[in-house]
Amino acid sequence: MMLTKKTITEAMYNAIRLGATKMPPDIRAALQKALAEETDPMAKKHLEISLQNADMSEKGNGLVCADTGFPMFFVHAGKNTEVEGGFNTLQECAAEATARATAECFLRPTMVHPLTRKNPGDNVGPGMPKLELVFDRDDDGLEILAAPKGGGSEIFGTFYRMMFPADGEAGIKKFVIECIKDACYAGKVCPPAIIGVGIGGTADLCMSMAKKAALLRPIGKHHSDPEVARLEKELYEAARKIGIGPMGSRGINAVLAINLDAAVTHTAALPVAVNAQCLVGRRWIARIDGAGNIDYTGEIE
Amino acid sequence: MRNITLPLSEADAESLKLGEMVTVSGLLFTGRSRFHIRAIEDNIYPPIDYEKINCFFHVGPVMRQTEEGWEVVSCEPTSSIRFERYGADVVRKFRLRTLIGKTTMGPETAKALKEVRGVYLSKIGLSGNALRGQVKKVHDVYFLDELGKTECTWIYEVENFGPFFVAMDANGRNYFEELSAEANARMPEIEKMLNIPADYEYTEVNG
Repeated sequence: MMLTKKTITEAMYNAIRLGATKMPPDIRAALQKALAEETDPMAKKHLEISLQNADMSEKGNGLVCADTGFPMFFVHAGKNTEVEGGFNTLQECAAEATARATAECFLRPTMVHPLTRKNPGDNVGPGMPKLELVFDRDDDGLEILAAPKGGGSEIFGTFYRMMFPADGEAGIKKFVIECIKDACYAGKVCPPAIIGVGIGGTADLCMSMAKKAALLRPIGKHHSDPEVARLEKELYEAARKIGIGPMGSRGINAVLAINLDAAVTHTAALPVAVNAQCLVGRRWIARIDGAGNIDYTGEIE
Repeated sequence: MRNITLPLSEADAESLKLGEMVTVSGLLFTGRSRFHIRAIEDNIYPPIDYEKINCFFHVGPVMRQTEEGWEVVSCEPTSSIRFERYGADVVRKFRLRTLIGKTTMGPETAKALKEVRGVYLSKIGLSGNALRGQVKKVHDVYFLDELGKTECTWIYEVENFGPFFVAMDANGRNYFEELSAEANARMPEIEKMLNIPADYEYTEVNG
């Protein structure tokens, strides 16, 4: 059955509204674990208050964070999925959903022109909301993940370095651990952060891998390649020794997870990208089946 | 926990210890990048009595207009370090004794705060929803049409607003700079743990 524009817009609107007002269950569990680990009173207070803030938001009082940031949608379609007006319609649906969520104060009007700084007031403009569509499912439905991504994590948690084969694994590790220290200084990215790292590919693919590793993977899940997973674990243990904890305080939990992804690259190159997600890891998923029924979940697979 | 009355007196400012948690009560004004740039580059700023409304809250709140007026949906302090280019000039121009924000500011702002006997208070956790409840009244708004709801200046009356902690004191000390020095001192040991050679250098291709 053809999925209507109305159904898709409704699913996108609810996914981004829920993303802005609910904390995903795996993130909450990870923050509670971090709270139990920290001993410094300030480190504990940062986490206690952040969890209370999410509770208030879930009860209908406010937002998980007032910086609802960049509106992003990651869409997975199936080989038999049909969309009213064709797949080009998805961008229109995302714009409509974003504007509605902004008008209803679930999103802050944050997107502005980069040069004139003019704010259209609805978070919609060239390139925004950001929508990525991939065809990787077997069915006739759509999966939409909405991620309102805060400025702190994107602005202070984005790094790229083109290294060379001779720089090796030591170079990758040095770059990543220094990025984590810089990103977490004074709580810039709102730690404990989820650190996404892309290795290889082209510059844009490398950064895209880093972003998706930070945003789209459940806490605690490692990369399927054991060599990549080994690096994730080594870097995670090292990050816990820096001495920076929640919101930049003295503590252990600078990060909730370090997620790497890798792509083949030029034989002369070793590009590495880092992109951070903040402690509230906002994302919510809408799944539309072929009949147009919508389910929502904060659980990622 | 102490509750500080705004505008902050010189004596209160000097009594605040680095890392101390406090709440504040009184009047404050809001702003972000556009406030800083316009105040210094263009000499455009809200016509308020800065002696009376002397606390600058770095925030872009989510605001909703109702029949009774404006209400705060959520107000999360924003990253003050972004304003460092103009921070010291703004502190001196308006003789600001209290800044509230996220993260910290740099050495120039620390110097200016020391001169005016002022402090910088940083947020504790994500607290935008609790802070909303502590805003007792939205008194006024400036430059709403030009700058929009996020960048314009709101005047709030707050009560037991916080908690925040003293991240820069009136003597020029910075909580995060001191903490960062400790972290930097640990880095050689961490690099060793990661099997990064002590003399490691990235390949240099720019001569």
